[in-house]
Amino acid sequence: MVKEEKMIKITDLEKFYRTEEVETVALNRLSLEVKKGEFVAIMGPSGCGKSTLLNIIGMLDDPDGGSYVFNGTEIAHYSERKRADLRKHNIGFVFQSFNLIDELTVFENVELPLIYTGVAAADRVKRVEEVLDKMQIMHRRNHYPQQLSGGQQQRVAIARAVVNKPKLILADEPTGNLDSSNGNEVMELLTDLNEQGTTIVMVTHSEHDARYSHRIIRLLDGHTVVENIMI
Amino acid sequence: MFKNYLKIAWRNLLKNKGFTFINIAGLTIGMASAALILLWVQNEVSYDQFHEKKDRLYTMYNKAVFDGNLWCWNTTPKIMAKTLKADYPQVEDATHTNECTFLFTVGDKKMMERGYFTDQSFINMFSFPLVNGERKSALVDNSSIVLTEKLAKKLFGSNEAAMGKTVKIDSNANFTVTAVMQDLPNNTRFRFGYLLPWTYMKKVGWDDEYWGNNSVQTYALLKPGVSLATANARIKNITKSHSDQKDTEVFLHPAEKWRLYSKFENGVNTGGRISTVRLFAIIAGLILLIACINFMNLSTARSEKRAKEVGIRKVAGAPRELLIGQFLAESILIALFAGLLALVIVQLSLSGFSQLTGKALFLPYSSIDFWILFIGFILLTGIIAGSYPAFYLSSFKPIKVLKGTFKAANALVAPRKVLVVIQFTIAIALIICTIIIKSQLQHGQSRDTGYKRDNLVYSYISGDMGKHYNAIRNDMLASGAVSGITKTSAPITEGWSDSWGYSWAGKDPNEKLDFNVFNVDGDFTKTIGLKIVDGRDIDIVKYPTDSLAMLLNEAAVKIMKFKNPVGQIVNNGNTKWHIVGVVKDFILQSPYEPVRPMIIQGPSSWFNIVHYKLNPVRSTAANLKSIEQIFKKYNPDYPFEYTFVDEDYAKKFAEEQRIGTLATLFAGLTVFISCLGLFGLATYMAQNRIKEIGVRKVLGASVARITRLLSIDFLKLVIISFIVAAPLAWWGMTEWLKGYTYRIDISIWVFIGAGVISILIALATISYQAIKAAIANPVKSLRSE
Repeated sequence: MVKEEKMIKITDLEKFYRTEEVETVALNRLSLEVKKGEFVAIMGPSGCGKSTLLNIIGMLDDPDGGSYVFNGTEIAHYSERKRADLRKHNIGFVFQSFNLIDELTVFENVELPLIYTGVAAADRVKRVEEVLDKMQIMHRRNHYPQQLSGGQQQRVAIARAVVNKPKLILADEPTGNLDSSNGNEVMELLTDLNEQGTTIVMVTHSEHDARYSHRIIRLLDGHTVVENIMI
Repeated sequence: MFKNYLKIAWRNLLKNKGFTFINIAGLTIGMASAALILLWVQNEVSYDQFHEKKDRLYTMYNKAVFDGNLWCWNTTPKIMAKTLKADYPQVEDATHTNECTFLFTVGDKKMMERGYFTDQSFINMFSFPLVNGERKSALVDNSSIVLTEKLAKKLFGSNEAAMGKTVKIDSNANFTVTAVMQDLPNNTRFRFGYLLPWTYMKKVGWDDEYWGNNSVQTYALLKPGVSLATANARIKNITKSHSDQKDTEVFLHPAEKWRLYSKFENGVNTGGRISTVRLFAIIAGLILLIACINFMNLSTARSEKRAKEVGIRKVAGAPRELLIGQFLAESILIALFAGLLALVIVQLSLSGFSQLTGKALFLPYSSIDFWILFIGFILLTGIIAGSYPAFYLSSFKPIKVLKGTFKAANALVAPRKVLVVIQFTIAIALIICTIIIKSQLQHGQSRDTGYKRDNLVYSYISGDMGKHYNAIRNDMLASGAVSGITKTSAPITEGWSDSWGYSWAGKDPNEKLDFNVFNVDGDFTKTIGLKIVDGRDIDIVKYPTDSLAMLLNEAAVKIMKFKNPVGQIVNNGNTKWHIVGVVKDFILQSPYEPVRPMIIQGPSSWFNIVHYKLNPVRSTAANLKSIEQIFKKYNPDYPFEYTFVDEDYAKKFAEEQRIGTLATLFAGLTVFISCLGLFGLATYMAQNRIKEIGVRKVLGASVARITRLLSIDFLKLVIISFIVAAPLAWWGMTEWLKGYTYRIDISIWVFIGAGVISILIALATISYQAIKAAIANPVKSLRSE
């Protein structure tokens, strides 16, 4: 019963970065677990391995050692293709710099993941409109990213992350480029999504944002130093 | 999904107008050039491939040893076709053709036209469609004539009107039009306006059954299933077994090789036109490649911009193949635009290009094959241009580009450097080749012909001219229109006849020596302007025995090993000629070959041409008018036609001139396309390094220093390209020049010149962007951070 509730189980995870002369340890035998429906914040100073961890959790990068069990399946040694397949059906991403495609409209940006998962055109329109409505940016559907404010862009990015109804959302400093009121709006949106059942793992520098989560994992030099349970 | 690709591709095109322009312009020029060349190549390879029976059609070749070499030639005895049909069961049918020019008279219309003597088998064997008349019997009747549509319209106004009508040939024979043939396509070796029955040759006494007179083309159609080897084995001794010509063998040359493989060296087929066709096909490919390289370089140089998009798409779940598909779709879209524009350019430049290549080329819009090829061409170009960018761009790791750690490399990273080097290697090699081809052309043109071409004119002896020649000659001299006149067997610019049938005292009876043969009646050296180095000119008035007098050229004296040629006797059959003089060698045939031994026979021979030197004191127009009146007086039925020898001589350089012009054109385009790409890269580099330039300027770098810094990388590549191109071009041109005995030595200055030209061109291309970047105010670029 307990086992089934786990979405992420990471054990002794290792990641090194090598240049010609130097080997840097990014993750040092790190272990952590995230349960389904949890909202976890990862904090720590720059260079502590937060983003590396998030990339591995997001299956954008592969570990050099250790185990990563996602939804009960060991994926540490999955090929890139298999990881990509698993990723597109299960994970949504929200980035600090929004990462919208400048040449596509709001609607088209949000539609993108549905295209790649093979959703039929009519169905796509319905689902994109639904999520744009929910994010309150329906009126901007035909605008290009440059025509939007930062807060609006991040809402589009979140819309894109959730349009595929992922089980897990990974947010990498989602409010880093926003002012506080826009930042709070984004955090409210994430909280809402979490309350509706989506698991969220967020990397942040902001103690304020971290308070929206259930649990804060603090990293230092590539391993967990402390975990705070939020009340 | 495809819609999404096209949408983003379209928006990218609009957003980056400068790059779009460079890409489309480069590809358009490249595709148009390649298409024009390929159109020509296609025409060349399709020569006489439309005959239904082409797999069984052959032309007959003779081969025999002369001067120690095995020679092959395709003029054959007139009797051969008949003999092939009668005596060789492997042969289903055979025919022959002999060119002729006649005066055609229909009512008041008179015109000189060229056609063939041939027979019904010609119509049966070859697939030239008739628009009117019965195919089976078109040329069966002895008084029938087949006209091409063009001639039928010229003579009668329409095909239908021509059918059954009578045309008068010369002034004494009538023929009835039994069929009208579709005009000949532009891809056949045959050139005629009409076909006359062979029996007429017999009637006018031009036919003969002598196996030693090789003067017509013979064609054979083998029976189905008979192999070339079998037929050759049976037929090779046809001449030996039917005559006393024991040295000549015969072989069949298949229709598929007529056009492109017509060169024989020592009895072996060594290609021919195919090498030019291959060369131009390669040039077409290279031009297209250069244009595609522009696209590759500019697309990958802009990778930083596209990297983010790739990252986002990958995170959104796009597998790599889909991204590759997307980028290929973009390049195919660009290729489509370029292809359509190229089609317009090709259509517009087709008439000029046809003139340049000397053949009427056209785009077959109504053919489905054409459109399939057109689409194939676009897809091919799009895929070549797009493949490298597609694989390169789709390989980006999303985490790097999305976290901003991805830094687009300098505009000149290794693969792009290689591509620029490839482009400039091709461009520089073409520049070098163009200079060498032009020098060789000039070299040939400036060679001393050995006679004076100015004011020298010739006309064909037609109708009653032969009969009244003396009167014509006297009238012309008396009119003051000409300062000299001579009758000859052929134009001074062509050798129509050669013979190995001569013998003289001291000749090795086993040795076969071949001479160019020319017949003259007198005043030859004076009219043509030749120099006599020994003895005198032939002069029948002063020396009545000169009807059998002979002149030699220096090359003939040498090969005949005469110490004192004047006074020697030369036998030809039963005729004894005596040598009265030696002329300085002059160019009769190719200006690129050594002058061949030549025998000039006196008045006791046959004549076709009259040469005359116009009086330089009077105007050319006045001279020609006087001559026309005299010709009309004695030969009223025939139009006055004449050819200037200097214009005729210039035609000898047509092929070289054509190659030279094409090489210049395509070298120019190649350089232009390459520079377009270089300009694009320089633009991108200047944008990319704007911050670096700002910092350098703030730290005290001068404009000149920065310009040099930005230009030097590109210049290095051009210099490397030169180092690669020079030996390649040298090798290629040395091979090409081997085809000419009279040729230039490749000078080191050609390379120095080409090197300097290419560096200057490259520098001019880059410096605009480099200087612009260097003089920009650093405050702006640094503040934009």
